[in-house]
Amino acid sequence: MRPILLSGHERALTQVKYNSDGDIIFSVSKDHVIGAWYSHNGERLGTYHGHQGALWTVDVDPTSTLLASGGADNTMRLWEVKTGKLLKTWDFLTSIKRVEFSSDGRQLLGVTEKRSGQLSTIVVYEINPDPEAEQTDEQSLKIVCDESKATVAGFSYMAQFIIAGHEDGTVSQYDAKSGELLYSTQVHEADMQVTDLQWAPDRTYFITASKDKTAKILSTDSLEVLKTYTTDTPLNSAAITPVKDYVILGGGQAAMDVTTTNARQGKFEARFYHKIFMEEIGRVRGHFGPLNYVAVHPLGTGYCSGGEDGYVRVHHFDKPYFDFLYEVEREQKQQASL
Amino acid sequence: MSRAAGRTDWAEEEDDDSVQLPQQQITKNKDGTETITTYSIREDGKKVKTTRRIKKITIKQVVNPRVAERKHWPKFGAEKGKPLGPQTDTTSVAENISFRPTSNWKASNEDKSEIDAKKNVLKDAKIKCRICSGDHWTTKCPFKDTMAPEGEAAGAADLGDDAPPEQGGLGTGGSSYVPPHLRGRGGAGEKMGGKFERDDLATLRVTNVSEFAEEQDLRDMFSRFGHVTRVFLAKDRETGRAKGFAFVSYADRSDASTACDKMDGYGFGHLILRVEFAKKAT
Repeated sequence: MRPILLSGHERALTQVKYNSDGDIIFSVSKDHVIGAWYSHNGERLGTYHGHQGALWTVDVDPTSTLLASGGADNTMRLWEVKTGKLLKTWDFLTSIKRVEFSSDGRQLLGVTEKRSGQLSTIVVYEINPDPEAEQTDEQSLKIVCDESKATVAGFSYMAQFIIAGHEDGTVSQYDAKSGELLYSTQVHEADMQVTDLQWAPDRTYFITASKDKTAKILSTDSLEVLKTYTTDTPLNSAAITPVKDYVILGGGQAAMDVTTTNARQGKFEARFYHKIFMEEIGRVRGHFGPLNYVAVHPLGTGYCSGGEDGYVRVHHFDKPYFDFLYEVEREQKQQASL
Repeated sequence: MSRAAGRTDWAEEEDDDSVQLPQQQITKNKDGTETITTYSIREDGKKVKTTRRIKKITIKQVVNPRVAERKHWPKFGAEKGKPLGPQTDTTSVAENISFRPTSNWKASNEDKSEIDAKKNVLKDAKIKCRICSGDHWTTKCPFKDTMAPEGEAAGAADLGDDAPPEQGGLGTGGSSYVPPHLRGRGGAGEKMGGKFERDDLATLRVTNVSEFAEEQDLRDMFSRFGHVTRVFLAKDRETGRAKGFAFVSYADRSDASTACDKMDGYGFGHLILRVEFAKKAT
């Protein structure tokens, strides 16, 4: 497996995302610029300029026409993917920590930071998928998180719920129409921030990563913890792989402690766990800073990771990855073929 | 500084060279590969020639028409106007990483952590200085030049005991293990000869030694055949000169017997050494 190194960013990566076909990777970093890259060869398609502060988040709609981003300049912006043109800017009082499109691309969600007397909120906008059209300024929904600030959020299947992860380790479920809090549960250890939330392809379950060194798979409907993956390092990101039943976890100790330890102790590796058996099956090293985000190719053929070291590493899985089976899986397969 | 002027001064030569770099050359080989030769200047000012041989393979892949269309989008932003294909300043290929999932990955990794754990145990072990009994290594002791090791202060005088340095380190640890060459010490028979008996199996008696010989000379000569644990050269108390005989102890008896064979009849100083196994004092 020969990773492709994308070195277009000058500062730490904060999020990387594949589009729905997996041919383009979008990357955002603290250097104010969004990058778009072809995933198969690492060629840079272009950059999106306009943000005035560090970027925290990016998301692309299912048709790869619109791109949303949010950052520390207190704006959420909408871009045309193809040309890099800025289509719309929404201004806020605090920075945007997370943006996400619904699975039909008609709604866009943003999570705002809690700061200077402002509570953390989750806002939703209706999006017109036509890049020529005028986008609305009106928020179709605003959820105020008064107990603990939201750090991550996303739309469930059919945009029925909004699931949010909070700073205090809880995960909550909101009605995506009314904004009513339906259910909230302490999933991760208290006061251990939920750092990432990524969906399974059908959005009926999702994986959360937390600073408490665990990642958990939860069911969307009941918020029941289905699987737990325990590691030895604070996690920044977790992703579910299609095709093979694995999860990829990324983390490493906090950026402020990095200079005092060497690369191996820092645990800057992508960790692969078996999704069902919850056992670690391997690691991929390479970054020399913590992994801030891992994203999986929607077709399951590869993954990419963005690190605090300013690099995106794009990996295309090779044969051993697809061939690997547990003994029980192999037996089952044999029996099925008999 | 034009080159046409024709340089006469050798000092200018380097400057001119560093400006003038040959162009990148691409040659097509017969077997379908390409050789790309590029020149660059390293940070330390040295000129570097890089030769890369590249084989281009076309892999046909059927993709979604949407994806195919996106492949031909014009570049924009910082990439605007750049030619097709990955640019070397933003995209590179990292070294190969072998990734094979294994079901017992954790177990194989735990072996490693066990080693770490062992190291940690050693780290936490009590360190006691032989000189001042402080919690640091003897070599790091601030008093190491001014004080003799504890317990050795008294023994240092007797017979110039040349015991190996490990002896004290182990002995003071209070462990019950006693190295073979120390066994018997402090046991029955505290007589003079007792010191020699303890390892007489691997001890050589060397006679006809020059009176100007030093212990170190003997040690140098005999340590060629194996690990010498002790050298004792009998010296006259008043003149400080050698009395003409010495004992050399080895850790291993087989080393002692080779040394016995080889060193018997060896010329040292102006005399011929006589080497034999030490006999038990009767």
